[in-house]
This record gives sequence, C-alpha cells and structure tokens, in this order.
Amino acid sequence: MDLQELINISRIPLPYSQKVIDLFRNPKNQGKMKNPTVIAVAGNPACGDMITFYMKINDQEVIEKITFESYGCAANIATASIVTEMVNGLNLKDTWKELSWKKVVEEVGGLPNVKSHCGILAVGAVKRGIRKYYQQKGLVPNWIPRGLTSEEKQALEEEELAEKLSKK
Amino acid sequence: MSLNPSKIRGDFPIFQRKINNNPLIYFDNAATTQKPIQVIDSIKNFYEKYNANVHRAVYSLSQEATELYEDSREKIAKFINAEPSEIIFTRGTTEAINLIAYSWGLDNLKQNDEILLTEMEHHSNLIPWEIISKRTEAITKYVKINENSTINLKDFENKLSTKTKIVSISHVSNVTGVINDIKNISKITHENNSLILIDGAQSVPHMKVDVKELDIDFLAFSAHKMLGPTGIGALYCKKKNFETMGPFQGGGEMIKNVNFNSKIQKPEIQWNSPPWKFEAGTPNIAGSIGFMEAVKYLDSIGIEKVSSYEKDLTKYALNRIKECKKTIVYGPLDTSIKCGIISFNVQGLSSHDVALFADTFGIMIRSGYHCAQPLHQVIKLQSSARASFYIYNTIEEIDRFVEVLKEIEQF
Repeated sequence: MDLQELINISRIPLPYSQKVIDLFRNPKNQGKMKNPTVIAVAGNPACGDMITFYMKINDQEVIEKITFESYGCAANIATASIVTEMVNGLNLKDTWKELSWKKVVEEVGGLPNVKSHCGILAVGAVKRGIRKYYQQKGLVPNWIPRGLTSEEKQALEEEELAEKLSKK
Repeated sequence: MSLNPSKIRGDFPIFQRKINNNPLIYFDNAATTQKPIQVIDSIKNFYEKYNANVHRAVYSLSQEATELYEDSREKIAKFINAEPSEIIFTRGTTEAINLIAYSWGLDNLKQNDEILLTEMEHHSNLIPWEIISKRTEAITKYVKINENSTINLKDFENKLSTKTKIVSISHVSNVTGVINDIKNISKITHENNSLILIDGAQSVPHMKVDVKELDIDFLAFSAHKMLGPTGIGALYCKKKNFETMGPFQGGGEMIKNVNFNSKIQKPEIQWNSPPWKFEAGTPNIAGSIGFMEAVKYLDSIGIEKVSSYEKDLTKYALNRIKECKKTIVYGPLDTSIKCGIISFNVQGLSSHDVALFADTFGIMIRSGYHCAQPLHQVIKLQSSARASFYIYNTIEEIDRFVEVLKEIEQF
C-alpha cells in the first residue's frame, strides 16, 4: 500500500499540494553558484530550516540567473524553487514589486497554515539580497522602502542562526 | 503484574476524540501529558465547593482551601520522599530553576565562581544560569556528552573544581531519553563541596525519584508532565539550603510582618518561613489540587509499574522502528539507561514534514529542537522528530505508528 492509497482509505487530504510535492521531488534551480553577484541567506531558528539564494545580476539590473540551496522541509524547498522561477529574468524593481509571500503560496497551490512562514522566508531572503546588491553599489533606489518589510525582518531575525548552520 | 492500559485509557476523556478522522494517538508526552477525569473533576470540585484564598482568612471556607493546598504539598513531598516544608510550589520546572538561579544564585555567586551544566540541557536549565552568570560574573561551563549521548563523566570530573558552586543537570534528557546516574554524580559533586540541582521534568513523572536516596539539594518538576494541570510545579529544596536563599518574588504570603516605622518612614520587613517565603502572591490553589490528584492517580498504579510498562513500550518501539530502513534513531538504544523518549529522523525528510504527515493519520509527535538547541548542534543535527510515551499508550498504537512511518519513508 503506498501513501496515496493509505490516504484514500483514511480520506485525509495530504498536507501538501501536488505542486509542492512535485517541486520537493524535482526542485528547479537547486545548487550552489560560482561567482554570484549576491548571496542571500535566511533561516528559521524555531524549526531549523534554512535557505540560501545565489543571484547573478547584470548591468541592466536584471536577474540573469538564480539558484538556491535548502536544508528544510518540503514547503521550504518548494517555495524557494518557485521563487527562482518567478524572478528569473526579471529586473530588480519588478522583482521587488511582484514578489510577495501570498503570491508564492498561491503559486505552489497553497500551504498548510503552519507552513506559510516558509513562503515569507523565501521572499524575505530575496528582498534582502536585492537590498544588499544596492548597498554594495552604494545606490539607494527610491522604490526600496527605507524600513525593512515584514518579510525581510523575519529573514533578518534568523540570519545569525543561518550563518551558524551554513558553516556546518 | 503489568498495568492495564485499556482501563487507564477509559479515564482519559480526550481519547474519545478523532483527529483527521483517525483515533487520536498521542505521542508527545515529553511536552505535556493528557489528564485523567479524576484530575479534571478535582479542579472542578474545588471551584464548585471550596474556592477561597488560602492562609488569609479565619472563615471556614478559607480554612478548608488552605487545608487542601497544604495536603497537596504533603502528597507531593511524599511522592519524592521529602518533607512537606521542603516543597515550594512554582509555575513549573522552569520557574523552579529560575527560583534557585535568582534567590540562591544572586546571593551566593560572585565573579569567577563556576556553574557546571551539560550539553544536553533543556533551555530552561541553561538560560536562567546564563542570565545569572551575566549579573554575577560567575562562569558557566558545559560538560561534554559521549557519542551515545550519555554524560562524559571524565569531562565532568575535569570541569568540577573548587570554583564550582553548583552543578545543574537534567535527570533525563528530553531529546534522547538518556537517564543520568544522578546518585553517582551527586556523590562526586558533594565530595567537591558543591550543590546539585536536578531538572526532574522528564524523570519524576516516569520513575521512582527519591531525593534522600539520590542525595540532591534541589529538584525541579512540573505537574503537567505527570497527568496534572499546567501552570503548577514544585521545587524540592533540602532544608539546610534555605539558610542561604534570599526571597525570590515579593508580595503577600512571603512575609511575616511588615511594620511601618514612622521614624524612618519605611516598612521593616520580616520574611515568612520557608517554603512560604518563596510563594509570593495568591498561589495556584486549584492547580495544586489537580497536582495532588495526579500524584494520587500515579500512586494508585505504582510508579515502578509505570516505569516498567514504559520500558516495555520503548523496547518494542525501538525494535519495530528497525523495520523502517530510512529512519535513524538518536541516543542509546539500551532501555536500562533510556526513558520512553525516541528522537529520530527519516532520511531525506525534514522532521517537520514527518510530524505533519503523522498528524494527518492522527498521530501527534514533536519536531524541531525540543528546546535543546545546543544538544542538536553538538550531535550535528538540524532538527529531529520525537515520539514519547506514557501509561495510556499501547503496543497497537506503536504498530500503527510504524506502519505510518513506513509510508512516510515513501514520500
């Protein structure tokens, strides 16, 4: 009896959508990148999950390539994977405007409530990466809000732990 | 004779519940246990018939409430072979450890004194000492654990020195279920003229803990992990140690006399005698009565039977989990040094996914760090899933759990 059969018998919906399961099994753009323009890390000390994004950004401020590494749960991997697909080829301004955790959750076909923080983490990490890119260049584009967004804050809070874990 | 789990289950109303269309299988007993009807009724009964403040009034109702509250202290004292006057009611294990850290620690620790802890401690036996170490400039040191997650006794003896003022250590690890040899550790500690505090949150509910036999100075434990209500626990404090302890919180009940001296325009305060000196404010009276009832319930079974039944369950579970090829269990497998706590991971899956899937089958297990992040870092784990048992769990539930675990491995 496989999981699907067992679920059919007990008539329990899987906690994850088919899309999440597919992305967990076959994630897109997974792996380290050589010489990225920006690395963005986010982790969650409450659950021990963490994600790293590697972004190659060209002179037109377009994300040419983005990859991720994740040691987290299926929701963590799926949301990170979908984010790379959503922002690949977009310029940074559009990425900032288009990307929200609600959209990410929608794109993966929904997440159990206890898992929506995974979507927040992925979006927060990318936004922190964009901010870092402009800081490195010494630029302050007017479309980036002065204060951190709630998604960035969540990713920031967890940065210290992420650093520790990434050294392992 | 072993205990009768089906009879016991009948006393727990929660097992009539279904979760996600499945009968509830509750395997998170290291976090908190379910409550028998006797405990629930005792609290209801108190509020319906005896509710009044304690130690305050001359009227009958208050006298009766006080009597019940003090009966509870006596019952709990007996359970661990202590004197009633050596039991301080607290909010739980965490507050009990904080009480010692603040009221003993602030008065007795000074710069370069040492507090000896271990790598396996729960945050509640680690953070209070880190706070106090900052305030007193005393130093915290951590005893290493062996590969099988037991305490490294050599490292313990190496780190114990004339500077060590207190050793604070868990009796049973809430992650690996390892049982520490407290009798021996206590002997070594006392030969060194240091005090010893035992975090008994995971031991008192599951095995015979005799404070005289173990010869310990302090013991902290919680009611809610032993069938009682949340929000109440106890701190055992060996009588002679009271002399070195200043008050913890200030308020009513913990003072004997507050005489306002008009000459100096200040009150002159005389502390109450222990244990009341450490119980400021109106205590959790209903909680204490629920606590007493929980102890009575365990007494009616016999704590030795509780222990041996849990060992049987754990042995059975460890053996059956071997069939799950992708599942890795942490800590020792020898049940002579291990309680009914099994932490594990399924290869390729996050512990949270394991717990999430188990939940869809009505099985409640924990995932994450279990409030012991340092231990996870020491054994190089990101997080783990944990199943922990109590008297109402059955062999059949473990069979179902293993069946589900095999399915989860296919995910």
